[in-house]
Amino acid sequence: MPERERALQSLQSTPRDVGPTADDLLALVARGDEAAFERLYDVMAGSVFGLIRRVVRDQAQSEEVFQEVMLEVWRTATRFDPDRGSANTWILTLTHRRAVDRVRSAQAATHREDRAARLDPARPFDEVSEQVDGRLEQRQVRRCLSFLTELQRESVLLAYYQGYSYPEVSSLLGIPLGTVKTRMRDGLIRLRDCMGVTG
Amino acid sequence: MRTTSADLHTLTGAYAVNALSDLERTAFEAHLTRCQSCAVEVTELAATAARLGAAVEFLPPPQLRARVLAAAAETRQLSPHTARVPDPRRKRWAGGLLAAACLVAAVFVTVDYSQSGQERQLAQLSSEYSRFSDFLSTPDAKLINGRAPNGATGTAVVSASRDEALFLAKDLPQAPDGHTYQLWLIGADGPHSAGLLDSRSSPVVVSGLTGAQEVALTVEPSGGSKAPTTPKVMAMPLA
Repeated sequence: MPERERALQSLQSTPRDVGPTADDLLALVARGDEAAFERLYDVMAGSVFGLIRRVVRDQAQSEEVFQEVMLEVWRTATRFDPDRGSANTWILTLTHRRAVDRVRSAQAATHREDRAARLDPARPFDEVSEQVDGRLEQRQVRRCLSFLTELQRESVLLAYYQGYSYPEVSSLLGIPLGTVKTRMRDGLIRLRDCMGVTG
Repeated sequence: MRTTSADLHTLTGAYAVNALSDLERTAFEAHLTRCQSCAVEVTELAATAARLGAAVEFLPPPQLRARVLAAAAETRQLSPHTARVPDPRRKRWAGGLLAAACLVAAVFVTVDYSQSGQERQLAQLSSEYSRFSDFLSTPDAKLINGRAPNGATGTAVVSASRDEALFLAKDLPQAPDGHTYQLWLIGADGPHSAGLLDSRSSPVVVSGLTGAQEVALTVEPSGGSKAPTTPKVMAMPLA
């Protein structure tokens, strides 16, 4: 009996614990619902800020980009098309683009050489490895990354976490441009299949 | 290293991790509107990349929450996209122009990425690409097509108001040794050279259309001729 009760309880409590998804909330935000935006902030702020901080590094700049991105989510929620992916993907794609824009801006360009010099190609994975423990999501990402070849992993992570363009990745790793492009694609396809992503 | 339309498809990964230049991104997005399988793959790979983003979660300083919410309260949201009202005058060309846009976008990402020449070539690419975008946005831009007996096709975007046309060939066989393709504008006063095709797949901008009734292509000795010396490989009426 207690077992059955627990099972029932967990069944019943699941929807309440999960709450509205980012997709539900973004649809409400698109209609100007400020309360929904507040809840969307709470759902997404950690991923958005974490990604910006990972790419931009500098705390003050990360905070600036974060505020810009969250405001852009509010402003452009009306243009979100659920047929082209989830709200989570839409927001993190926008986030990544803004973070990369920041590091590729003219100001950042002057520091680029020095940024490249500091870089150890093995580092992105190490850092992910350090940061990703505990949460299921992180454990899965870490596990799936380990199935990539070294070049696939480095190509994907240098572009995604460091914000490098593929010619930059090519020059850092000393491999041809065409190889970088195919490694990025092959690496992501392998990750996609490992994570069971369906878009 | 060259990028052609054939391997545009392999850019899905670089696009998903945002590793393309702005220009390549624009060209690739033009390609996406025509390539359903690319679009599906991009959706999946973008969702995959987002998982990498979610894996480095880190909470922002708590004081930012009130700031963002206050800013949102004072910010007007964009109006949603509304369906475009089709303009019957332009509809006829829309599909063809889009196809030409993608074709040319594909050709324009043909960049040699040798380290030394990269900046210069990107600048050139950028100016060619904007020139082509200008073309497509010209209200009187129209598209004409030609076909050679061997199956090669020619496409020209013609703008009378600009007095210019952009010509692009596809599947042209290699010209015989010591020969090249030459483009002609033919009017009542006979043929005028409109330039040589430097490569069989690069677009050529032709200006000075006034009086011309036809665009034609012939094979000529290297360096070109003053007047056509061989029969037309392809001819497209301008009127």
